[in-house]
Amino acid sequence: MAFQLLLNFFLAFLWMFLQSSFTLASFIIGFFLGIVVIYAMRRFLSTRFYMVRVLAIFKLTGMFIWELIKANFEVLAIVLKPKMNMEPGIFKYDTELKHDWEVTLLSLLITLTPGTLVMDVSDDNGTLYIHALNIPDVNSAIASIKDGFEKAIMEVSR
Amino acid sequence: MKKPNDLILKTVTKVISFIIILFSLHLFFAGHYEPGGGFIGGLMTAAALVLLLLAYDMKTVNTILPFNYKIMTALGLLIAVLTSAGALLFNVPFLTHAYDYFELPLLGETSLHTAVLFDIGVYLVVIGITMTIIQTIGESE
Repeated sequence: MAFQLLLNFFLAFLWMFLQSSFTLASFIIGFFLGIVVIYAMRRFLSTRFYMVRVLAIFKLTGMFIWELIKANFEVLAIVLKPKMNMEPGIFKYDTELKHDWEVTLLSLLITLTPGTLVMDVSDDNGTLYIHALNIPDVNSAIASIKDGFEKAIMEVSR
Repeated sequence: MKKPNDLILKTVTKVISFIIILFSLHLFFAGHYEPGGGFIGGLMTAAALVLLLLAYDMKTVNTILPFNYKIMTALGLLIAVLTSAGALLFNVPFLTHAYDYFELPLLGETSLHTAVLFDIGVYLVVIGITMTIIQTIGESE
């Protein structure tokens, strides 16, 4: 990712020098042409075409915003409900993410979507202890995180 | 008592401390035309270092940033005195500052003022004193 981005910047600057116009517009044109060239030559590169990752980052951001809105309305419904019949609980979640920043990002995303809250991370960074406001079914809560945020983060880091 | 795993705090600190230090540098350079200056810039840089101290232990931070804050304070005072005394070389009173506009490559016309050098002194003194106070209190058991 970093190498391809650097290469793309280099190509954009090279384009600016070839055009001998040092403006933002020629930089953007050069950057766009660089994306096209890197896409055409992507099989020579050892890693994935980096724009796939950029798109995955946008997808993760959009998903987070949507989950935030949805989950806040769920909490609103719980607050306004006259009967206190929710079932709070703490469950264990085993994550497959390896890097520190991935686990941190997952924990922060889980915490920022209301209804769930990361309480602790195990010493080997492999298990999260999550408090949930209302979980009638633990397995479905685990599955929703696994299919949602964890998959999206893996898509970014792979 | 078992120490909890503060992975989240450490990883977030790694990102946030850079943002705080960049903002403190902005405050430092904004001082001439906008609110800001050496004092608040230095205080905020020290705050970033305190955040690092909170997330990691003192030994780690001293290994990453091997500064002697007492010498930093002395250096800041020295810079402030020298820039003030520099005015005496030009037969003007102590603490007189001068500025001019310069054509710099890439940056274009820039005004450079000797008050910035004085401000760097203030900046270093504020960081040095804050960190000395906090580290001295933190080290005493």
